[in-house]
Amino acid sequence: MRILVVEDDVNLNRQLKDALTEGGYAVDVAFDGEEGHFLGDTEPYDAIVLDIGLPQMDGLSVLENWRRDGKTTPVLLLTARDRWSDKVQGIDAGADDYVAKPFHMEEVLARLRALVRRAAGLASNEIVSGTVRLDVRSGKVTVDGQSIKLTSHELRLLSYLMHHKGKVISRTELTEHLYDQDFDRDSNTIEVFVGRLRKKLPEDCIQTVRGLGYQIAEG
Amino acid sequence: MRKGSIAASLFWLSAGWLVVALVATGFLLTDLYSRALDTALSDTLDFHVESLAGSLLETGDPQSQDIALADPRFGRPRSGWYWAIRDADGTLYNLSRSVVGIDTPDIPGPVSASGRQTAIMDDSFGTSMRVVERTVTIGPDTYEIIVTGNLSEILELVGNFRGQAFIVLGAVGVMLAMMSFIVARFAMRPVDRLSAAIESVRAGESAAVTGTYPREIAPLAEEVNELLRSNTQIIERARNQVGNLAHGLKTPIAVLRNEAGTSKGALADVVLAESDKMSTMVTTYLERARLAARTSVVGKKADAAKIMARLSRVMAKIHPDIAITLHPHEPALPWFRGDEADLEEIAGNLLDNACKWSGGQVEVRLSAEQGSAGTVLLLAIDDNGPGLSAEDAQKVLRRGVRLDEKTPGSGLGLDIVKELVDVYGGDLALKRSALGGLLVELRLPTARQSGITRPAT
Repeated sequence: MRILVVEDDVNLNRQLKDALTEGGYAVDVAFDGEEGHFLGDTEPYDAIVLDIGLPQMDGLSVLENWRRDGKTTPVLLLTARDRWSDKVQGIDAGADDYVAKPFHMEEVLARLRALVRRAAGLASNEIVSGTVRLDVRSGKVTVDGQSIKLTSHELRLLSYLMHHKGKVISRTELTEHLYDQDFDRDSNTIEVFVGRLRKKLPEDCIQTVRGLGYQIAEG
Repeated sequence: MRKGSIAASLFWLSAGWLVVALVATGFLLTDLYSRALDTALSDTLDFHVESLAGSLLETGDPQSQDIALADPRFGRPRSGWYWAIRDADGTLYNLSRSVVGIDTPDIPGPVSASGRQTAIMDDSFGTSMRVVERTVTIGPDTYEIIVTGNLSEILELVGNFRGQAFIVLGAVGVMLAMMSFIVARFAMRPVDRLSAAIESVRAGESAAVTGTYPREIAPLAEEVNELLRSNTQIIERARNQVGNLAHGLKTPIAVLRNEAGTSKGALADVVLAESDKMSTMVTTYLERARLAARTSVVGKKADAAKIMARLSRVMAKIHPDIAITLHPHEPALPWFRGDEADLEEIAGNLLDNACKWSGGQVEVRLSAEQGSAGTVLLLAIDDNGPGLSAEDAQKVLRRGVRLDEKTPGSGLGLDIVKELVDVYGGDLALKRSALGGLLVELRLPTARQSGITRPAT
């Protein structure tokens, strides 16, 4: 899952990036509205954390522009203005949820997880495919009720495939959604990670669709 | 601050001048009248002197019986009208028949160069007389002709005239004083209107001084409006500054809190605890500033139906698992009397709470209720969550109480609702819902019906 964080406060931006990275996301950051708007417009993010008070171009304008251009990426608004009239304005501009500053990092993480899950059309915090279960809140994976240990990269890969279970995901899509823009993208790394992941999971959990990509079975 | 009255000053000033002017007019008129009468008397006497001198010169005999005056007043004793002819030694040659029991008057002092002199004297009966004396020379002899006229009659006439003049002038004075009183009151009417207009601004019934005023006090009204405008601006600016300060603090507080949250140790604990305190203070004072600035909600009204429709749409997005039903309301639903953002804040918090606790179902109803204090707007929010016991409901309505510390939110949401409901004189009741959860009943004041009915949404 790849997330864009648009926040002009350098420290808060870093904290969000750290917390989200730790939460298993690939994170890109922007410090002003124009940069944020450009990144959101050109890169395929799974969710965006957007501050309202931004230099160059304010958050609501950025959001309205994205929505006008047909971008449906879930957006979580961050703002100091926490009256309902402000929230209504934010939601009406196209935001999907809203966190008022000062917030607890857990709240941002919880709401982001919910946004990503909702965008994937999943109703529960637990995604199940065969005997494999992924708890998106804790990032714990069990096979037949037995907890297995995954590295953060392996977890990211599994999580993305589980969120899109039943669909064939190309290597390019995986690269785009698993790594931030500064990452050295080499499609071979994906194959390496898929290979390692397959060893920890039941056989045939991750299927290779020749010439197209990978797929995790639905149900 | 208060000293005297303009109307009274105007009245006393004009009345004072009136008295002085009228008294002076009275004296002037009397004086003119008495002068005119006196001059006429002197002329008559001169004429008589000339007739006597003519007769004397004609007859050449000062004792002649032909020397007489036709005026019958000279024939009545004590009339004050006398004449006499004598020489410089005082020897009488002739006199009028009216000279009875009196000495012939004599003007002391030398005769003037023109041979004519005049004086005012009293006769033996106390009658005041004007005396005219003239010398006539016939051959070697020089005679003095003396004619007197009754001055007392004239003085009496003047006295009568003065009496009447002062009665008339007094009446005029009273009328003028009444006029000036009315004028003073009339002139003060725009000032009274202005003061009433300012009073209504202070009472919050209008936002600015309205109405038209005469040129003299129109600048005052405009200045008052300008003052009100600049005052509003200053308050608005101060309020914005407080808002900006408070909102500006939120990001650094968030940074501190997150930073402390990820590290361990005594310092981190202190920073965490203090940043929580700061956060609470910022929120509290922001709300205080909002409440303090909420002095003039007069004249504001908001369409509750529109706000609830908007909030339901927003909640559907934030809480996608909850089915929110907004029941249709009666067509002529009264409007909320107050600020739109305030109602949105109250209803937003209540609806958000209902969604957080509900088991998937929330129902919203808007209606008008006839109470003892007129029509109130009733907002009822039902949910099918766990609900609250009567005891817990009591607790929740107290300030700063949160029953579940785990549910996200600072716990200030309901406090803000309570404070706002208090400000508007509304009522908040928590009951058991027919859906099994909590029923929140909010009663708010309504704006006066403007006669406009809207179609149900």
